[in-house]
Amino acid sequence: MLFRQAGIRHTDYASDRALFPIPADRAMIVALLAFGLLAPVLVSSLALSSYLTPWLVWTSATLGLNLIIGWAGQFHFGYAAVMAIGAYTTVHGVRAGIPWEIAVVLGGLMSTVIGVVFAFAALRVKGLYLALSTLALQFVMDWVISHVPAISGGVGATLQAPAMRLLGQPIKSEVGLYYVALAWALLVTLFMLNLRRTALGRALVAVREKDYAAAVIGVQAFRYKLVAFATSSFIGGVSGAVLIFTFYHAVTPEQFAVNVSIELLAMVIVGGLASIIGSWFGAAFILLMPGQINALIAWIAKLLGADIGIETLAHLPHAVYGALIVGFLLVEPMGLGKLYANVRNYLLVWPFGYARK
Amino acid sequence: MDLMYLLELGVNGALSGLMYSLVAMGIVLIYKSSSVPNLAQGALTMVGAYVVLAFADGAGLPMWAAIPLAMITMMGLGLTIERVALRRLAGRPIVMILMMTLGLDIFLRAVTLVIGGGTARPLKIGVSDAPLFLGPLLLNRAYVVGAVVALLLFAVFVFFFRTRRGVVLRAIADDYMASWAVGISVERGVAFSWALSSLVATAAGVLWGSIQGVDQSLSLLLLKGITVAVLGGMDSLGGAILAGIGLGVFEAVASGVLDPMLGGGSRDLVVALVLILTIMIRPHGLFGRHDIERL
Amino acid sequence: MSAAAPSTVLSLNNIEVIYDRVALAIKGASLDVPPGGMVALLGANGAGKSTLLKAVSGLLKAERGEITRGEVHFLGENIDALPPQARVQRGIVQVLEGRRVFEHLTPDENLVAASAVRGTGGADLKRDLDRVYGYFPRLHQRRTAQSGYLSGGEQQMLAIGRALMTRPKLLMLDEPSLGLAPFLVAEIFDIVRRINQEQGLSVLLVEQNAIAALEVVSHGYLIEGGRIVMHDSAEAMKKNPDIQEFYLGGREGRDFNEIKHYRRRKRWLS
Repeated sequence: MLFRQAGIRHTDYASDRALFPIPADRAMIVALLAFGLLAPVLVSSLALSSYLTPWLVWTSATLGLNLIIGWAGQFHFGYAAVMAIGAYTTVHGVRAGIPWEIAVVLGGLMSTVIGVVFAFAALRVKGLYLALSTLALQFVMDWVISHVPAISGGVGATLQAPAMRLLGQPIKSEVGLYYVALAWALLVTLFMLNLRRTALGRALVAVREKDYAAAVIGVQAFRYKLVAFATSSFIGGVSGAVLIFTFYHAVTPEQFAVNVSIELLAMVIVGGLASIIGSWFGAAFILLMPGQINALIAWIAKLLGADIGIETLAHLPHAVYGALIVGFLLVEPMGLGKLYANVRNYLLVWPFGYARK
Repeated sequence: MDLMYLLELGVNGALSGLMYSLVAMGIVLIYKSSSVPNLAQGALTMVGAYVVLAFADGAGLPMWAAIPLAMITMMGLGLTIERVALRRLAGRPIVMILMMTLGLDIFLRAVTLVIGGGTARPLKIGVSDAPLFLGPLLLNRAYVVGAVVALLLFAVFVFFFRTRRGVVLRAIADDYMASWAVGISVERGVAFSWALSSLVATAAGVLWGSIQGVDQSLSLLLLKGITVAVLGGMDSLGGAILAGIGLGVFEAVASGVLDPMLGGGSRDLVVALVLILTIMIRPHGLFGRHDIERL
Repeated sequence: MSAAAPSTVLSLNNIEVIYDRVALAIKGASLDVPPGGMVALLGANGAGKSTLLKAVSGLLKAERGEITRGEVHFLGENIDALPPQARVQRGIVQVLEGRRVFEHLTPDENLVAASAVRGTGGADLKRDLDRVYGYFPRLHQRRTAQSGYLSGGEQQMLAIGRALMTRPKLLMLDEPSLGLAPFLVAEIFDIVRRINQEQGLSVLLVEQNAIAALEVVSHGYLIEGGRIVMHDSAEAMKKNPDIQEFYLGGREGRDFNEIKHYRRRKRWLS
């Protein structure tokens, strides 16, 4: 009843392959887009800049990582390093006077190039070893960035990001930055949604399921894995750049350290492998949960009159991350996206539950 | 570069490398028995040290009582982790298992810090600070103790894997289904390997904790432990020992040479580079098994 | 109740097996193996032969399958609730399809690993090992090699020998002829028949290769689409025209020009 499918008849291929054939889906997307565009009016300025903007950027990064892990079935334990490359390249580019739009693309390309060079060697191995080599890449990148002053300005130094100028117009207001982040997130989401319907997407899924079987039917596994790495690195690099310019406004090595890679992995896993809406949920969950749990525990402590040291509160978010990862893998390995899909499947045929496949 | 100095670095590096082997052996034990790469080994090492401190400082027990009690507690923890977290994921794709151990690593580390506090605390196991001289070379006495413990445990485990119990564990790692089919209890075997591994982790935690203090940096041993395990071969105990010595020497000498040039902090870089190179050139390490594929 | 010797070693009564709670794999199958008997279970790919074996050996759970109806009785005891280890201890052992030897262990270690369930040690262990190598001398020659590098025939011998180390009362073989040259198949089947006759070990032989199987067994069952559709002595099955057409290579003198469709549909009445 809610997702009425009766009367939907496709008369040409285009409508058959539409992204959202069910009117209820379309209505939801329109509503969400409307909310997204009107958010600065509907939501407080604090919520906009502290919650919505970072959520949008981290979602883009999560989608990029999901492309590698969920769609292509490879591993990447060093995604933060990829974002760092893009971020630093862009900042240096803008500081050198290059227009922002071009600097961002340059940042993405730099990430892609380094990502591909690395992947060329790393993709000779699979599974655990691929994961470990990406983790090692993260460490090496961490070290290079902190210890090469030309890149980072020295150990622990902060590199100030100049104001963003889009098409010549400086964008300094939070609303403006929010729209930039929104645009990027929508672009990446659209890309991922379309990926499913393209040959590239199908090839990636084939490679993910059984790469030698894919090779047998003519899908060059290595080439497609490289393509996945390249695309994912580009998205990561640009996301890193956008993150700096719309949220942090300055770049330090700590922002893209190992724990950030783990955080991104948590977003992907909690959200759900190969689930687009899952990535949106996962990013929100991981961003918000620790803060909320912290607040909850502090409130309980105050209620009970107990004293919780700063130390405890500092480590609590990590405990929550860890518990979330463990919990989701035990209870619902396919993540929030699957939970959403379950609800949607139920509603698709409601109230005719027996018609469910 | 003074040759004597390099030699001293090398020997001490070999000793500390053997202590890395301790962490690596914990990883290898679990991998050898269940084909699960345990990325939570660093956290377990750290938790082990904290538990010893809890018994020693918290309950006021002497070290010779605190350590065994801690080991028993840690074995219980290992069994619990295996039962609750890993058993459900048996047979699932490795990405999930890796993520699970990673999640456990984060969780255990954070919870321990929440309970135990983040400031470094000393762990005294009665090894004197008096310097030990091997000819003209100055050795770290604590490292020597650690190296000896590592070699002893190694000998014990090598002997163990020749017994029938050990053969059964290796069989489980090869093929769960076939193991079930001949009456082997896969569940018990995997649980046992986790218990053993936790014991090793506690030993490593105590030894490293006595050297560098008990705080969260102990869990960073994971990178060194994993590198040694990969370099030696994920399922080879002998490989863990040899690779530990090798990596220890290389790390000490290389960072001794590079640090003055690069301004410090090159130890971790060297280890990460060794890891990458090993995976690129010879993923199954020095003595690891090749995965046999009959097509 | 007097404890009468059970008339069957294995007795399946109207078994229904479902995978993943949705896929019905076995529909009401009943099967008996007499003590010391050698029985064949024949059928095409996907008929449900392996599933039936796993229902007996308890390995269904590992593949998300369960018995939803009917009972499995072994030596008069209902074993539905027992885990695989307990069933092996009772005396049931399955040799898995595709051998599944422990690849990185030597044949010796493979056999020792299987002796763990009985806890045999010392002289008993040596006697068991000698007995297995007695049946499979070729294996003895290769006993220090890595099992993954053995040939298919040697791996099959190892898998059977490994099962024997558990001192079973019922040996269940899942497609032992898979991927083997005909002379090896004959050799292995011969050895299995010897084991059956010399030790009185009951054997349930699951095979696609009906010709070879019907040579060594006393009687057979035919399973198709999850149902047992025939049960007869081996001689009768060999002569049965339907079996000949569907499983033994067809009738004499059939002109392929006359065939209107690839395979005649048969409504089995049983």
